[in-house]
Amino acid sequence: MSTTISRTAAVAPARRRRPFNARRAGAWALLLLAIAVSVLPFLWVLRTALSTNSSLASQSASLLPADFTWGAFLRVFGLQSPADAIAEGGSGAAIDFWLYLRNSVIFSSITTAGAVFFSAMAAYAFARLRWRGRNTVFSLFLGTMLVPPIFTALPNFLLIKNLDLLNTMLGMVLPYVFMTPFAIFFLRQFFLNMSREVEEAAMLDGAKHLRIFFQIVLPNAAAPLATLALLTFIGQWNEYFWPLLVGSQDDVRVLQVGLGVFKSQSPQGSPDWSGLMAATLVSALPVLILFAAFGKKIVNSIGFSGIK
Amino acid sequence: MKKSLGAVAAAAVMALSLSACGGGSSSAESAKGEINYWLWDANQLPAYQQCADDFTKAYPDIAVKITQRGWDDYWSTLTNGFVGGTAPDVFTNHLGRYGELAENKQLLALDEAVEKDNVDVSAYNEGLADLWVGQDGKRYGLPKDWDTIGLFYNKAMLTSAGISEDQMKDLTWNPQDGGTYEDVIAHLTVDKNGKRGDEAGFDKNNVDVYGLGLNGGGDSSGQTEWSYFASTTGWSHTDKNPWGTQYNYDDPKFQASMEWFAGLVSKGYMPKLETTVGASMADTFAAGKSAINAHGSWMVGQYTGYKGIEVGIAPTPVGPEGKRASMFNGLADSIWAGTKKKDASIKWVEYLASAECQDVVASKAVVFPALKASSDKAAEAFKAKGVDVTAFTEHVKNKTTFLYPITDNTAKVKGIMEPAMDAVVSGKAPASSLTQMNEQVNALFK
Repeated sequence: MSTTISRTAAVAPARRRRPFNARRAGAWALLLLAIAVSVLPFLWVLRTALSTNSSLASQSASLLPADFTWGAFLRVFGLQSPADAIAEGGSGAAIDFWLYLRNSVIFSSITTAGAVFFSAMAAYAFARLRWRGRNTVFSLFLGTMLVPPIFTALPNFLLIKNLDLLNTMLGMVLPYVFMTPFAIFFLRQFFLNMSREVEEAAMLDGAKHLRIFFQIVLPNAAAPLATLALLTFIGQWNEYFWPLLVGSQDDVRVLQVGLGVFKSQSPQGSPDWSGLMAATLVSALPVLILFAAFGKKIVNSIGFSGIK
Repeated sequence: MKKSLGAVAAAAVMALSLSACGGGSSSAESAKGEINYWLWDANQLPAYQQCADDFTKAYPDIAVKITQRGWDDYWSTLTNGFVGGTAPDVFTNHLGRYGELAENKQLLALDEAVEKDNVDVSAYNEGLADLWVGQDGKRYGLPKDWDTIGLFYNKAMLTSAGISEDQMKDLTWNPQDGGTYEDVIAHLTVDKNGKRGDEAGFDKNNVDVYGLGLNGGGDSSGQTEWSYFASTTGWSHTDKNPWGTQYNYDDPKFQASMEWFAGLVSKGYMPKLETTVGASMADTFAAGKSAINAHGSWMVGQYTGYKGIEVGIAPTPVGPEGKRASMFNGLADSIWAGTKKKDASIKWVEYLASAECQDVVASKAVVFPALKASSDKAAEAFKAKGVDVTAFTEHVKNKTTFLYPITDNTAKVKGIMEPAMDAVVSGKAPASSLTQMNEQVNALFK
């Protein structure tokens, strides 16, 4: 109770000191505009998802859903018959939502866990171990960030094909699971800032590198690791091209690729906008939930500068 | 990316198909199991699912698994499947693609089966079955449907412009002044102030409703964009069809037609090319932004499905040679050369091409089936839904169709002509620039 009182007491005079002038009004207007710009597209997606496809084009000016229907969401979950879907101007195609969701979760989780763990090991080697040519190797590694992924897509595809791993989860995760230059760079900068004293103390106590890595470095790097994991997960969740190339069979098809059925069906035909938007919303949900849960951690870890 | 993949696919697949041919399947054994079938048009999925169910009733040993993929990803996934050995046993094939697939030994020749099972190829609409005979004289697909071009128009806009539907049926066109076709287009164009395109004071920079919708530059075939009027001048895409080796984009008759088409944009009667990127011409029509759209018969469902829009369909205009013209395109079902279930696949393809299945497709009134008899049933089914499709069927009846240009190198031709046509339609280059492009195209065949 006392805290509430003291808080209001502290806030009230502050308010009186800053009268509502033109500058504040301008700031508010800018803020509201920024909110509108970032939120309106989502509202538009939601509005389209709740519309009947065949009415969308003729009622394009209205902010409310055109001929409100849950049909698009039913379509996404495979609860609508093709005939009903076509009657609503949608796509007669069904997606096996839960199967693709499972595949997406497996694909994103394996690649995230692998990439973060192996990148941490590599970053540790680059930051804490002294070996000949370390900096040269590191610059080479950084240099690979300049190679656009499209250049490696074809060689990777042929490699995976020759390994007979097309349409397997292993083939899908292999190019991502070990490491990415960005992750190594990101973690190396963090590890460089860690204090040497703790490490030296551990060495005096007889700890080897493996133990130092697992018991000192990893626990202390929990925040940046979480950030990296979240960023990687979101990236993998949205990955489209590689899963499209390698995982075209149903049992490994991921959600992003599955959404393709709502895109244009025939040459020059319009996409099933409602279905596409509904599916996009549903597929974005897991990432939104993750973000809501761990968003604070990201902000913290970016502000965090290591043990001083 | 796609192109390089295609090249690799071609190379990798040679080896694959050789091994596939060597085995030679024994008949009774392999007509069993599950075969995979791919198509891209989800609107036809219910019809083909029913065909598959009926088929399995007739052949209990064979199950058909249908996979639908959007047009955008269909061909890249298919090519990948050829390389990776995961392609479907049977798939819907397109005239613009099958030449290259046949060249790369991806497709199973059906001649033996057609002869053995007495498939009557004369029962299909004239010319359709011949399209699927490759340069080597072998048959690579059995026709499933066909399409022609018509003019979709907004009835309310016609009424308020004082143009009758009978007038729409008798339009004429020529490359000099555009004939009554251009008159109607101009009159249906309305600017922001309500002035029509043929009235004094028309503001061509602030147009509210365009007389004619635009889908794009039309790349090498101009199927729905310009082929329906350019071909009324006696011009044709290639020296012979199918399997021509010379393209005719340097013909003055063609260039005059394109000059007229690009002129519609500069006069403000047709939207600018850049506004069509990422937009659907049909949706723009439904939003009331264009009064007439030249489009294919496969779009009937979409145009008549819009709520609150009354749509009529008129035949394409009569040209200088006194006839209408429409590209005649057809799809077919082909078998992948690498299939492990050859006999079952042949049975399924023959079933897809049979009256049993094509009548089912006809009854859904989505496309026109390839068989003459089923085609008529489809027209009836459309009529029952209140849609008059004579604009499309008349082309076939009056033999005013010309075939989709089938040649080698179609992907490369498209690669050269797409930017060239875009430049002409957007007014960045004169139609005479196509002469030089034509030389590049023809050099591909030397």
